Amino acid sequence: MSTTIDFNALVDAKNGRVTPVIYTDPAIYELELERVFGRCWLFLCHESQIPKAGDFFNTFMGEDPVVIVRQKDGTIKAFLNQCRHRSMRVSYADSGNTRAFTCPYHGWSYGTDGALIEVPLETRAYPHGLCKEKWGLQEVTRVASYKGLIFGNWDEGAPDLATYMGDMAWYLDGVLDRREGGTEIIGGVQKWEIECNWKFAAEQFASDQYHALFSHASAVQVLGAKPDDDADKKLGAGQTARPVWETAKDAIQYGEDGHGSGFFFTEQPDANVWVDGEVSQYFRDTYQEAEDRLGEVRALRLAGHNTLFPTMSWLNGTATLRVWHPKGANKVEVWAFCIADKDAPQDVKDAFERSATRAFGPAGFLEQDDSENWVEIQKILRGHRARNTPLCMEMGIGNEKRREDGIPGITNYIFSETAARGLYRRWADLLMSDNWDEVIERTEAFKAEVLQP
Amino acid sequence: MNTVSLALHHEISQFLYHEMTLLDDWLFRDWLDVMASDIHYTMRTCVNAQTRDRRRSVQPPTTWIFNEDKHQLERRIARLETGMAWAEEPPSRTRHLLTNIQVTPVEGSEDEFDIRLNYLLYRSQKERDETYYAGMRQDRIRRTDSALGWQVCRRDIVLDQVVLTSHNISVLF
Ligand code: FES
Ligand SMILES: [Fe+2]
Repeated sequence: MSTTIDFNALVDAKNGRVTPVIYTDPAIYELELERVFGRCWLFLCHESQIPKAGDFFNTFMGEDPVVIVRQKDGTIKAFLNQCRHRSMRVSYADSGNTRAFTCPYHGWSYGTDGALIEVPLETRAYPHGLCKEKWGLQEVTRVASYKGLIFGNWDEGAPDLATYMGDMAWYLDGVLDRREGGTEIIGGVQKWEIECNWKFAAEQFASDQYHALFSHASAVQVLGAKPDDDADKKLGAGQTARPVWETAKDAIQYGEDGHGSGFFFTEQPDANVWVDGEVSQYFRDTYQEAEDRLGEVRALRLAGHNTLFPTMSWLNGTATLRVWHPKGANKVEVWAFCIADKDAPQDVKDAFERSATRAFGPAGFLEQDDSENWVEIQKILRGHRARNTPLCMEMGIGNEKRREDGIPGITNYIFSETAARGLYRRWADLLMSDNWDEVIERTEAFKAEVLQP
Repeated sequence: MNTVSLALHHEISQFLYHEMTLLDDWLFRDWLDVMASDIHYTMRTCVNAQTRDRRRSVQPPTTWIFNEDKHQLERRIARLETGMAWAEEPPSRTRHLLTNIQVTPVEGSEDEFDIRLNYLLYRSQKERDETYYAGMRQDRIRRTDSALGWQVCRRDIVLDQVVLTSHNISVLF
């Protein structure tokens, strides 16, 4: 698809201006499916969700249904969940175990390796001979794992996963690599839909600590343990019942290559006040191991928000990991997973699940308020004037820098929009470029511009 | 079928209707009083499982949407009272519809009963946002000397949707 849309006019990241038509325009959305979701590394599922041969998990890459299958030799493949005969889905369950995927329409059957193995009435229906080798399930071009997380990518020319992640891997390790045994997914997947564009959610988790003060005021007020509270909070030495932004020593935002993160420096290995006492205690008990593996900053970094561009987000300390599956310009489907250290005791895993659900499940004390905002914004943008009126994205502009202390990437104070500007710039670069080389060239030019003194 | 008398069934149904009215009328503290101090209040996600997996009684793992004790329910209500609970600002209008109420005495107990019922919860928000939640609920209720004569000591809510088609759940069931 060629485009006549002037993305440079819609996204002026240098000056901190974005025109909100990017959240509503169906033509832009179509282009995103091709050039963002068709070319970026997308989170599929966790290895712990498909432990045995024949185990499968169904998800989406953009709007394309994709089934991930554990092979007989233990490797992982992913396929477009689309029968090659007339496009029917060949796997319906959320997950399970199977020896074959049989299409319900005319009964073509595919092995777990994607090969077409059975065609009903083959010799009578295809007297000329059907070359079954040609009609296997379409395999996702590239599948790669990073410390338990499985990603897929349709683009041959994309950078490898590690390069794509760049400095974001350092931030992600703060969740994935705290302990020897790695992580696993606890329980199932919470799924709900929000009538808003996927970029609101992705951007917020990349860049927006600012909203928490106001949006989540009610949750902070009722979930914070009081120091004299003898309930299940068990505040540790040095842990404060005050919101972390009031007590933190320092706070950083990171934003680069579309990814983003924000977090506070705390003095004690304590998670947010809204997690259960067992979770806080667990972080204290395992602090030394985490520090040995990750260093002090990341071992203490238990309150933070993150997006790996485009649609995988997570919160440190709160154990929620989610994907924002786009469902049209005006709709996103949230898939929330509870991720925790594999070596944690069962009662701690249960506490992680309870805490993640209570704070960030669809009925979560904090989650409720976020979706409310996004839904209302999407309604406002139905208006012609509203969607063509540039938005202010200037927070912290000009204060970006690279740090000397080992915290990597382009950084700023947490209350800034560095990561948001970078996210929209990378997004526009993808939409304007015909291949990854061009994308990278554009992104590098933007980075140089951002870091100019 | 282990049924109860018509009079008792009527009494219990009236109690359940009354309890739902407290939610519909935003009398959340009064509703909380109807929850026993040992209440366990849950809602699970639903999943799509292959029939062959179901037959072997394996299915994709589910997870919680609610998993609350009385303290947490109280905190939810406290949140609504802050005046900053934006998901409920302005508050949703709700209609809790209960049907197919089946009452079974709890074995070995004089004053506890298990209830199974179907529900439909209609939620209207802002100008024209509408949501329906349909499913099955299992309660255990206990006769007490509280205001309504009964309290709820267990509530397991099942929602029939796999993907919730509402942007959040900020109402109670
Ligand atoms: S569509 Fe699958 S067999 Fe025909
Ligand atoms: Fe939020």
